[in-house]
Amino acid sequence: MTFIINIIQQFSKHLFSIYGIIFFSFIYLPLLTVIFLSFNSNPINMMVWDGFTFDWYKSIFGYSTMLDEDAIYLESTEQLLSSLKNSLIVSISTTIISTLIGTMTALALARFRFRFKSFYRALIFLPMLIPDIVLGIALLIFFVTIGIKLSLLSIIIGHCTFLSSYVFIVVSARLAGMNETLEEASFDLGANRFTTFRKITLPLISPGIIGGALLAFIISLDDLVITYFISGVGSTTLPVFIYSIMRRGIKPEINAIATLMIVVSLLVAGAGLYFRSKTTK
Amino acid sequence: MTKKNRLFLLLSPFTFYSLLFFLGPMLILFIFSFLEPGIYGGVEWNFYHDNYGRILGWADGEFEDFDIIYTIIFLRSLRLALITVLINLLICYPAALWISNLNPKLRNFFIFLITLPFFASLVVRLFAWMIILKPSGILNQVLISLHIIDEPILMLFTEGAVIVGMVYVLIPFMFLPLYASIEKIDLKLIEASKDLGANKFITFFKITLPLSIPGIIGGSILVFIPSLGNFIVPDLLGGAKVMMIGNLIEQSFLMGRNWPFGSALSMMLMATVVIFLLFYVRSVSKYENETETIK
Repeated sequence: MTFIINIIQQFSKHLFSIYGIIFFSFIYLPLLTVIFLSFNSNPINMMVWDGFTFDWYKSIFGYSTMLDEDAIYLESTEQLLSSLKNSLIVSISTTIISTLIGTMTALALARFRFRFKSFYRALIFLPMLIPDIVLGIALLIFFVTIGIKLSLLSIIIGHCTFLSSYVFIVVSARLAGMNETLEEASFDLGANRFTTFRKITLPLISPGIIGGALLAFIISLDDLVITYFISGVGSTTLPVFIYSIMRRGIKPEINAIATLMIVVSLLVAGAGLYFRSKTTK
Repeated sequence: MTKKNRLFLLLSPFTFYSLLFFLGPMLILFIFSFLEPGIYGGVEWNFYHDNYGRILGWADGEFEDFDIIYTIIFLRSLRLALITVLINLLICYPAALWISNLNPKLRNFFIFLITLPFFASLVVRLFAWMIILKPSGILNQVLISLHIIDEPILMLFTEGAVIVGMVYVLIPFMFLPLYASIEKIDLKLIEASKDLGANKFITFFKITLPLSIPGIIGGSILVFIPSLGNFIVPDLLGGAKVMMIGNLIEQSFLMGRNWPFGSALSMMLMATVVIFLLFYVRSVSKYENETETIK
């Protein structure tokens, strides 16, 4: 009897670790599957392993491969590359604009007292609480009604409406944890407002600004729902492009594109998270 | 520069941007939901309430009738969103508990590992599930080779697939608030409970669970909103059979070209979200009052 109780106790001790393994498998296995299959050379059934190959990677960049001609599904490499270019233009512009707006607003709300503060706070949080699809179509109707052509510009405008809020939150958190007496000390020592901002405030909140900017960059690069509604002909971004191929069926090239995207986003996110853990210590 | 001027300078970009590109579009969406749809896709600028009537049941427009299908889709979206919240909670709670019990160094590393995959693109993560769930997919192959099933079963294009997809995509939105609230719990309370003779289970149900309620409510709301209005997941994993409000809105905009009707649907979706948010605010403030009296 004590033996059984012993076993149960041992088991319950490891129960959490066992659960942890299952939890991590659930998170990681789907992505590992995609990466694994991107190297499968079987052109007919991607689920049956048929040897290792780089051909899918070559084919998405337009190089000729050993694969059967019929196996080339992707309409054109040009489309893929131009959507990638669009994505980068959009996310870099969005990052700059939303980081500026978000940081300025965070400074205003943290350092000043004024009457409409709670109104502003609500206005900042609202775009994040509204379902993406609602914001997407609201922007679509707005652009069409006032006559702004759906283009990269409309996507950038759309992204900044909600990404400024994300930057605001990250920078505000940093400002809240900052010691205000340092600024006062700087004034006492005779520095003017500009010098104090440049020498004290900005260096202290810069991890927040960088963190917010990285977050904005990643979200903008990956945004599908809002971009889907406000991108016009010729301004397709990478997620929208891949989504449109996926809607037409599961094709092996997508494995290779997906793997490249996983690697890039993990590198950016890994760098960001690592940087943040360094600065918060 | 005076204080007032500096404040004005700092606030004006956001004020301008928000009024023009956020409140403006939302106002136009609201107005559109009360306009008459034009025959060829445009709008007539007349007041017209049948957009809502088609959904809620009083439509008497010329070509438009109330159709029970909209109610069915609305209820289905609510059901799927609530199931997604519940399953996500059940999956993430033990994981958050597990990680908060590890030593601090390991803890941060595991949080890093958990958040990392969710920076991979949404389409990529859903593509992975398409490969896993399709008839010739990994899961069917595994089940067949284990002799659990004889022939592939239909997993893709079912409600189950949509739920799995939404749960997977939204894990960090549940996990992080849960972890934050569990980690904050004062260890002294748990020790006190043990000293007073309570076993692990009683300690969990009397101390840990009640104190993590803000995290549970916060995570649930953060998962609920994007699941309710989702259209990508049901589109890719649910197909035509599992339509949600999001798909209906998308179709009325990009296929049906009935913008006023799509706007009315969006307003209804927003109303649902607002109702749940109000419920959230109320329950959180109620909870705060209660813990206040305990202290």
